[in-house]
Amino acid sequence: MRKNRNKILLILSSIVLSLYFVYPTYKDNDLQSRLVHLRGEDSLRFVEENEADIRENRLKRIKLGLDLQGGMRVVLEVDVIKLLEDLAKNKDDTFTEIIREVRAESAGSDELAATILRRALERREIRMSRYYGNLRDNNEEVAAFLDNEATKAIDRAMEVVRNRVDQYGVSEPSIQKLGGTRVVVELPGVTKEGEVRQLLQGTALLEFKLLKEPDVAYRVMESIDRLLAASTTTDTTDTTAFAGDTAKISTPEGDLTPEEFAEKHPFFAVALVNPQQFPGEAIVAEENKEKIRRILEREDVRAAIPNDMQFAWSAKSRMLGEGKTYYTLYPVKRAPELTGGVVVNARATIDPNYNQPVVTMEMSSQGARDWARITGANINKRVAIVLDNAVFSAPVVRGKITGGHSQIEGMENLDEARLLEIVLKAGALPAPVEIVEQRSVGPSLGEDSIRSGLLSSVIATALTLLFMAVYYRTGGMVANIALVFCVLFLLAILAAFHGTLTLPGIAGIILTLAIGVDANVLIYERIREEIETGKTLRAAIDAGYGKAFTAIFDSNLTTFLTGIILYQFGSGPVQGFALTLMIGIAASMFSAIFITRVFFEALADRKEARISFG
Amino acid sequence: MQRRKLWYTVSSSIIVIGLVSLFVKGVTLGVDFLGGTEIIVEFRNSIEIGEIRTVMDRIGLGQAEIKTFGSDRDILIRTGEQGEGTSVGDRIRSGLATNLPGNPFTVLKEDKIGPKIGDELRRDAVYAIVASLIAILLYVGFRFKFIYGVGAVVALFHDVLVTLGLISILDGLLPQLNLEISQNIVAAFLTLVGLSVNDTVVIFDRIRENQKIFRSMNLIDLVNKSVNETLSRTIITMGTIVLVLGILFVLGGEVTRGFAFTLLIGIIAGTYSSIYIASAVVVDWTGRTGGKGKLID
Repeated sequence: MRKNRNKILLILSSIVLSLYFVYPTYKDNDLQSRLVHLRGEDSLRFVEENEADIRENRLKRIKLGLDLQGGMRVVLEVDVIKLLEDLAKNKDDTFTEIIREVRAESAGSDELAATILRRALERREIRMSRYYGNLRDNNEEVAAFLDNEATKAIDRAMEVVRNRVDQYGVSEPSIQKLGGTRVVVELPGVTKEGEVRQLLQGTALLEFKLLKEPDVAYRVMESIDRLLAASTTTDTTDTTAFAGDTAKISTPEGDLTPEEFAEKHPFFAVALVNPQQFPGEAIVAEENKEKIRRILEREDVRAAIPNDMQFAWSAKSRMLGEGKTYYTLYPVKRAPELTGGVVVNARATIDPNYNQPVVTMEMSSQGARDWARITGANINKRVAIVLDNAVFSAPVVRGKITGGHSQIEGMENLDEARLLEIVLKAGALPAPVEIVEQRSVGPSLGEDSIRSGLLSSVIATALTLLFMAVYYRTGGMVANIALVFCVLFLLAILAAFHGTLTLPGIAGIILTLAIGVDANVLIYERIREEIETGKTLRAAIDAGYGKAFTAIFDSNLTTFLTGIILYQFGSGPVQGFALTLMIGIAASMFSAIFITRVFFEALADRKEARISFG
Repeated sequence: MQRRKLWYTVSSSIIVIGLVSLFVKGVTLGVDFLGGTEIIVEFRNSIEIGEIRTVMDRIGLGQAEIKTFGSDRDILIRTGEQGEGTSVGDRIRSGLATNLPGNPFTVLKEDKIGPKIGDELRRDAVYAIVASLIAILLYVGFRFKFIYGVGAVVALFHDVLVTLGLISILDGLLPQLNLEISQNIVAAFLTLVGLSVNDTVVIFDRIRENQKIFRSMNLIDLVNKSVNETLSRTIITMGTIVLVLGILFVLGGEVTRGFAFTLLIGIIAGTYSSIYIASAVVVDWTGRTGGKGKLID
C-alpha cells in the first residue's frame, strides 16, 4: 500500500481536479432548468439575484455545438476580385476582360486573386501601375500593395460583422477568421435567417454625428429619471440590487443611502453621470446595459427625448475603477453631419512629436469642404464616429479643419487606433462579402438530438458495465469504476480547454467507452492466460499488465493518429468528434491501465487475496 | 490460415459486387460535397412526397431530390441549385408555406454550401483518408516491419471498399436509412480505419511476441497460434463495440443513424480482415520471399 501512495495521490488529485472542472456544467444546467420553470417577474428576479453565478458558470461550462443547441453557422467570403476591381483606376475594356479572366481562373485554384491578376496582366505585357498605385511603382510594389489591401479587407469585414452581431444581442457569438478570405460566424440560438442575412451582408454605414451639448443632454436624462421615478411600479425592488454602484457617485441631494438614491433616481442609479470626468455622456456597467436599452425603448421614455436627439452606445466597453467594465451612452444629434462615403483613406500611426497613437483621415474634396464648415462651426464640441449605430470614438474638435486632413488623438494604444482606422475605412471602402456556406439547426432538432444522444449513451454505458461486471466479476467491477472515471476525465478536459460538445462528439464518447473496455479486456484475458500457466495471482497481474501494454499502446496510438488527421481536415461537428476521441483515448489509457492496476495491487496486498477475473 | 485462399475469394467477391454497384449505381453524395441547398422540414401532419414534388415543380426546382427523413412528417429536400446567399432556401420555404397552407411546418435543419466550399470539402475528405492510410502504413511499418504496415493498409482498403460497396447497394432501398455521403460519414470511415487497425495491431503484437518465444515455429502456425490466443479478446471487444454501435444505430436518432451504420459494417469487416486479410498478407508475402519466420528484427 505504502509504495503506491504517490500513485493514489495522483489519482485522487486528478479526480478532484476533474470534479472542479465539471462542476460549472452541472451548476449551469441546474440554474437553467430552475429558470425555465419561472415566469415573468420571478424569472427576472431570479436572474438578477444569481447574476454573477449564472454568468460564471455559463462561461466555464462545456459548450454545446450548434447541432445540439440549435443556431446558425455562416461562412462569409470577401470577394477579393470585386475589391481589386473597386481599387482600380482608369478602368477600360481591357481591364474588364482581364477581371473576367481572373474570376474564371480563380474559381478552381487556391492562389491569391492578386497573384492571378498579376499574371494575367504580365501575359498581356501591361504594367500593373497602369491601373493601380503610382505610375513609377514597379510590379513588385503594386502586388505588395494589393496583397496588403486584401488582408485589410478581411479585417474590415470581420470588424463590421462583429460590431453588428454585438449590437444584435446574440449570446456567445463566435466570429473567427478562416484562411485568408473567410470569416466564420456562429450564432447559437438564432433561427431568423432572413434577419441575420441582412445583418451580415448589408454595406456598413459610417456616420459623423455631433454630440448634444452636455447641459441639454443632462436635462433630457433628468426628465427620463423623473419619468421613471414617477411610475413607481418600475421595479424599485431590483434597482437595489445594483445600489452598490451608486455609493461612489456624489448626489446633489447630499447624503442619500444607496437604496434611497436608487428609489428617487431609477435612471441615474444605473446610468452614471459625472460632469467633471465625462461631460455630456453617461456610463453604464456592462450588466445594466440591457436594462437601459429596455428603458430607452419604452414609449413614454421615447416621447421624453427630443426629436433631433438619440442615444448611441459605445461599440466597446472599457474598464473603470474597481475592475468593472462599462459602456458609454452618448446623446447625439439624430441627423448625421457627414456620412462615411467622403472618407478616402485612414491610417493609424504613432505621432512622432508626442509618441502617441493617432489616426489620420483624408476626405474627398467635396467632403473636405463640408468638413471645414462643420468643424469651423463646432469648435470644442465633440463629433462621434458612428459605424452601424455604434460609437467608436467621440473626439473633440480642436479647430477648423481645412483641406480634408484630420488627425484624431486620444487613443490609449495602437490597437485602439488600428480599430478606428478599420472603422473609418469600412465606410470608405466597403469589403464586398457574400455568404458561401450557411448551416442552421432548428432548436427542436437540437433537443431531439440531445435526448436521443443521451439515451443511447446511457443504455450503451449501462449494458457495457453490466457485461463487464458479469463476465469478469471483481476485475469487471474495477474496470467499471475506471470507465466512470474515464468519462469524468474526458468531460473535465473538454471543459478545461473550452471544447465544444457536438452530436458526433457524443458518438466519440460512446466509442471511447468501447476503447476503454478493450484495454481492460486485453489485460484481463492476458491475466487469465498467465493464471492458467500456474503463476500466482500477484505475478499474473504483473505479467498481464506488462505484456498487454504494447498492444494497448500501439493500437490506441494508431486510432489517435486518425483522430489528429480528422481534426485537421474536418470542420465543426466532425472536429468535435475527433476531439472527444483523442481526449477519450488519453483518458482511457490512464484509467484502464494506471487506475485499475493500483486497485488490484491494493487488493492483492491484502492477506487472503482472491481476485476473480471471471 | 490454411484456408486463406478461400477467404481471399470471399472477400474479393464481396468487393467486386460492391464495386459493380458503385460503378452502376454509385453513392449519393450529400450537399456537403456537391454544394447546393438542403433543407429538412417537419410538417404538422403527415404529407405525401408527391405533394412536395408538385410544389417544387411550381417554384422551378423540379429537379430537387425529395425524400422522407425518419418519419412521414419530416421531409428532406435537396437541390444543387446555387443562388446568392440563402435565396434558394428562402424560395423553398416560401413556396411550401404558400402552396401548402393547411399544413404548417418548422425548419429542422438547413444547409447551404457554395460550389467552392463543396469542392474543398470533397478534396479535404480525400486528403484525410489518404493521409490517415499513409500515417498508419508508416507507424505500423515502423513499430513492426514494413510488410506488416502493408498488410494493415491492404486490410483497411478491404474494410473501406466493403463498407462503401454495401452503402452503395443499400442506399435508397430502405426509407428509414439515409445513407448519403456527408461529412459525418467521412468521419465514420476514418474512425473505422482507426478502430480496424487497432484490432489488427493487437494480433500483430501477439505475433511479434510469440516470435521471440517460439523461434523455430513456422510462420503459419505462429500466426494461427497468435490469432487463437487473441480470439477471446477479439470477440469480447468487438461484441461490445457492435453492441454500443447497435444501440446508437437504433436509438441515436436520425442524424447519427448513417454514421452508426457505416461504423457497424466497417467494424465487422475490420474484425474479419484483421484475421483473414492483414495476417494472411503477411504470411503470403513472407512465404513468397522465402523468409522462414524471421520477421522480427
